[in-house]
Amino acid sequence: MKLNTRINGKEYCLEIKPNAMLIDVLRQAGFKGVKFGCGEGSCGACAVMINGRPRNSCITLAGAAEGVEILTVEGLGNPEKPHVLQQAFVDSGSTQCGYCNPGSLIAAKALLDSNPNPTAEDVKDALDGNLCRCTGYVKRIDAVLQAAEASKKTRKSTRGKK
Amino acid sequence: MAKTLKKETSKKAAPAAKVAAAPSISPIPESPLVFERPDKFNQVNHSLTKVDSMGLVCAQQKYVADLDMQGLLHIKVLGSPHAHAVIKSIDVKEAEKIPGVVAVFTYKDVPRVVRTTAGQGFPEPSPYDTCLLDSKVRFVGDRVAVVAAETPEAAAEACTKIKVQYQVLKAVFDPERARDKDAPVIHDEKDCRVPIPIFYDPKHNHCSHVETAVGDVKKGFKQADYVLEKTYYPHYAQHCPIEPHICMAYLDENDRLVLRTSTQVPFHARRITAQTLGIPVKKIRVIKPRIGGGFGTKQEVLLEDVCGLVTLKTRRPCIWALTRAEEFMAARTRHPMVITIQSGVKKNGAITAISMRIISNTGAYGSHALTVLSNCGSKVLPLYRAENIEFIGDTVYTNLPVGGAYRGYGATQAAFAMECQMDEMAEAIGMDPIKFRQLNHIKEGESSPIFKALGEGREGVDMAIGSCGLSKCITEGMKRIDWAKKYGKPGTGSKRRGLGMCCLMQGSSIPEIDMGAVFIKMNEDGSFNMLLGATDLGTGSDTVLAQIAAETIGCKLEEMIVYSSDTDMTPFDVGAYASSTTYLTGGAVINCAKKVREQIEAVAASMMGEDMKNVTIENGVCYGKGRKNKVTFGQVCNYAMYEHKQFQIGAIGSHISHASPPPFSAHFAEVEVDTETGEVKLLKYVAGVDCGTAINPQLADGQTQGACMNGISFALTEEYIFDENGRMLNPNFGNYKIWSTKDMPELETFLVPTYEKTGPYGAKSVSEISINGALPAIGNAIKNAVGVRITRPPFTAEKVLTAMKELVKPAKAAAKEPKAKAGVSKAAKPAKPAVKAEKPAKATAKKATVAGKKKK
Amino acid sequence: MLKKLTRFYHPKTIEEACLNLGNGELKTAIIAGGTSEVLRQDNSIEALVDISNVKELSYISKDSVFYRIGAGTPVQDIYKTPALTGPSGNLLKAAAGKIGSTLLRNSITAGGNLAAMFPWSDLPVVYMALDAEVVCRKGKPKRTVPVQTIIDKKASQFLSAAEIIAEIAIPMYGKGTGTAFAKLAKTANDYSMITIATRLTTRSGKVDQARIAVNAITAGPVRCIEAEKLLEGQKPTAELIAAAAKKAADSITIRKDFRASREYRKEVFEVMVRRALTEAHEKAGK
Repeated sequence: MKLNTRINGKEYCLEIKPNAMLIDVLRQAGFKGVKFGCGEGSCGACAVMINGRPRNSCITLAGAAEGVEILTVEGLGNPEKPHVLQQAFVDSGSTQCGYCNPGSLIAAKALLDSNPNPTAEDVKDALDGNLCRCTGYVKRIDAVLQAAEASKKTRKSTRGKK
Repeated sequence: MAKTLKKETSKKAAPAAKVAAAPSISPIPESPLVFERPDKFNQVNHSLTKVDSMGLVCAQQKYVADLDMQGLLHIKVLGSPHAHAVIKSIDVKEAEKIPGVVAVFTYKDVPRVVRTTAGQGFPEPSPYDTCLLDSKVRFVGDRVAVVAAETPEAAAEACTKIKVQYQVLKAVFDPERARDKDAPVIHDEKDCRVPIPIFYDPKHNHCSHVETAVGDVKKGFKQADYVLEKTYYPHYAQHCPIEPHICMAYLDENDRLVLRTSTQVPFHARRITAQTLGIPVKKIRVIKPRIGGGFGTKQEVLLEDVCGLVTLKTRRPCIWALTRAEEFMAARTRHPMVITIQSGVKKNGAITAISMRIISNTGAYGSHALTVLSNCGSKVLPLYRAENIEFIGDTVYTNLPVGGAYRGYGATQAAFAMECQMDEMAEAIGMDPIKFRQLNHIKEGESSPIFKALGEGREGVDMAIGSCGLSKCITEGMKRIDWAKKYGKPGTGSKRRGLGMCCLMQGSSIPEIDMGAVFIKMNEDGSFNMLLGATDLGTGSDTVLAQIAAETIGCKLEEMIVYSSDTDMTPFDVGAYASSTTYLTGGAVINCAKKVREQIEAVAASMMGEDMKNVTIENGVCYGKGRKNKVTFGQVCNYAMYEHKQFQIGAIGSHISHASPPPFSAHFAEVEVDTETGEVKLLKYVAGVDCGTAINPQLADGQTQGACMNGISFALTEEYIFDENGRMLNPNFGNYKIWSTKDMPELETFLVPTYEKTGPYGAKSVSEISINGALPAIGNAIKNAVGVRITRPPFTAEKVLTAMKELVKPAKAAAKEPKAKAGVSKAAKPAKPAVKAEKPAKATAKKATVAGKKKK
Repeated sequence: MLKKLTRFYHPKTIEEACLNLGNGELKTAIIAGGTSEVLRQDNSIEALVDISNVKELSYISKDSVFYRIGAGTPVQDIYKTPALTGPSGNLLKAAAGKIGSTLLRNSITAGGNLAAMFPWSDLPVVYMALDAEVVCRKGKPKRTVPVQTIIDKKASQFLSAAEIIAEIAIPMYGKGTGTAFAKLAKTANDYSMITIATRLTTRSGKVDQARIAVNAITAGPVRCIEAEKLLEGQKPTAELIAAAAKKAADSITIRKDFRASREYRKEVFEVMVRRALTEAHEKAGK
């Protein structure tokens, strides 16, 4: 069966099995930032944005992604031009093994999209589906707050220029 | 302190000196005993950016599964439904018929080679009791058959079509019953054995035994004013790396087997896979790409043998990824234990004797059975001064999931018992638990006979404590948790608050056993390739070791290009375990980088026409006397490569340590206990760590925070729940609860700098120690809040509530009051009755073992 | 693993969805967030109607009497909608915020939580405590039924072919009503062991309507009717609330749960009901 979907801003027409899970389809399409962790929607390593909502791709049928807009971590930025959240994760030391980072970054992005001025409690709430066994979460929460702060500054300065 | 160290080390160095006195210098390097302290740090002790972090957050770094491979076969292993059974017959015909199935293997198809899966140095101190596939299964999830197919679905379906007739055997699950006369023998096969001369009695499910004594504990108990005895039951746990075990295998251009695997021990993986498959080491290359966490479970050679088998037999690439359920059931776990401590204490706070007796449950196979057990003593008992110490430990087989290495490695289990016992002792003599610890804990310059008495499979190494920041960890932590104001004030109402704390120590590498090596070569732009045997599994060791190299050579971290853990490309390293990488491999980096620096100095001197001893290096530039001449690293390398007496600037360095200096730590917990539901809410958690010089403070802090959170959920919510047939009921994150951001307490961590002379730039280990604190600190805080001592973690609401009820049972006077209220009023006071019962000297003290012992 | 699945429908309207559902040829099921493992493991389903892009199923609105929540609304929206206030809105938000995690809340829907009802489903008890009504649509025709009807019969039995749950209508309550939600679980994103939603609607200091709806400790959502009756018409004193809590604890059939014993859960359930009623009573007085 065919799946027409937009991934990181590009149109894709993928041949899929009707019962395929989105995680597998995305990984096969080259988006290796989508990680397998539990296969039951409990850890968030596979989180991607589907029409602006962060969700677990391991329990989402690929067929349900017909006509949607998907964002994976690859669509956030790259080392040359990292997203403000990626930069903040790096600067704050939020990365240890890094395996949960792509999913966490997606959840963090969703938070900042809907709430540009989050409190630490908001961040804890928004990242509650992304399990991390390495970091103890402290630095990651700081990172999201830092990124929010940095985005605000960028917005202000661009507004000032205009 | 220095005196003791010198005395001890000069003795050690004596034979080496003789060798050195011989006319020619031995090609066998001597590892330095101490590392110089520079005037200032340029690269180390700075929170520089982790070298792989940008690649990780942009998903550019590749993990095992992130490599696309044509024609990849998918492996599925059929797990045993029984805890103990003999395979009477096995028929794979139907499975082979499933479209897409390429091969099915059972024990009949593979040579029988007994070995251990424990990724330890050779010969391993773990029994050879495990085969690739066997005709007997010993726990639920044990391997029965291997299927390789074109798709994961076909492999899974084939597993359901394998017809197995089992002769189900009686199983044993209770470690305290495992050595009984009528207990079934789990390893009744003839060929299981230990590769080194240590105790091993599989006929009685008795996997290992360690016994040591210092002084005379009986005498010590006689001297005591109080003798207390309690039994503690640290529980099963899984590491839960977010990336489950995974391994990919393929044949390279030269028909060698390449294993791309998520491992902490690439070199041990190569050796053990070669041993299992009966092929030479030279036929195997092990590559460790990025790893999604390990915490010890990947110090195990678990998947490589099966993947190697499939690729060699089918000549096709293959991949085996454990599901989360398989990770829980069939990977490795923390050894659960039964730890009985009897201790004598005087009213003035002096500890007269400690007896620690342990039954460790290694499950169906003896991976790390002996060493986790001996670590219970060696990483815990030296912390407090006591003249009379006895340690008796036994590891037993049961038909349950297999124990293994897990961050903390025995220290976690024993620290729980010891640090709870410390609070019990303090309470018995009416002393503040912190004061009691301050009175007794080991300090700089002191030693413990335990260091020598308990090694890993052989005698340990005597040493004195060269650096100890524990006192500072305690006083600073007290301030942060507001101990003086809050301790012992549970408040009123249905929710009571309590504070608890504990002190901890660990080690830094296994002295005179572990070895790490490094190769550094220089490039013409002044950068360096550093090839490390060491295994970065997310810990940041690539970064930390590169910082040490940059510091030593005199350049910036950015100039170091790190490549680690590839058995073809990098020198040997034992791997990431035993809190060794920074301390041990860091030493190898210094040894290596010093040689490189000398070469650079020599070339620069020749270029500038200066005396080599006048050359100084700063930030990638070599200066002559008085800074009149200078050449850059790039110029130096170009000169050495192209101009005069050409050679490659580069060197190899190795290191072994002669000590295992403990990092120290103090942890503090503030809890709120709901006296009507038993729920424990962790409000605040504080941990201070002395890891010597933190090579990268941000990463060291991250290690501490991660370890704390892991320890915390281990203490409160993580548990293995089994049915009556030994099957784990909760092998998933839905029911095995590790904590998320929403569960977090206020978490504060801090580092207390000391300088450990035997470590690179004063460093000690940091990664393991902080997982040990939560069990005792929270356990003590619960006791402080509501007066109950929970000896069977995790501290679930039900256990707390049940214990609170048992506490009020003797108080008949309160019978008329409503139940819950009675619990509150009694619990508000320290648990006096329990202490009184233990007051009489040892004969009766034994009877007074903690209430609530019988559970099943 | 949905081995027989061959077809996906992606309707844009309710009518289209109903048409797809009633195609008469393939064994067809509705899928919204798709978090139900039972659905994913079903090997008899041949076609799925994905309603996640049916805009007219995803909304939160209110009229003079009801909050109206489209069945396809992710529970995250309930949790995060500031306009949901008062006794009903706060109860909805309290429960929605305790469902799974952010990632799951973005998949789990207001209707799905009712249609695929599990012991640990958190919203059905809220609907019950608030006397919600459920709007079902079969193409254009619609019928509105009390939520209890669907809970009693189970959605799968109650809905006819080609009929879907379209909306949950939640009555709004004003002054004199207090609500409280309580959940016992090991961690924030754990499956519930005990879920309780209570409502006390009072008039002149006496309980006019009491609702105690529970799940997780039971095999499915149930109301503790006897305990409710004990309260209704009475002044909710601490003693009466305690008695009602005891009655509630005695009335339920406690399911097996390997995480905690029945005795323990019963005891804590009583405490939690007492506390929830007390909280609801306090709020009713404000």
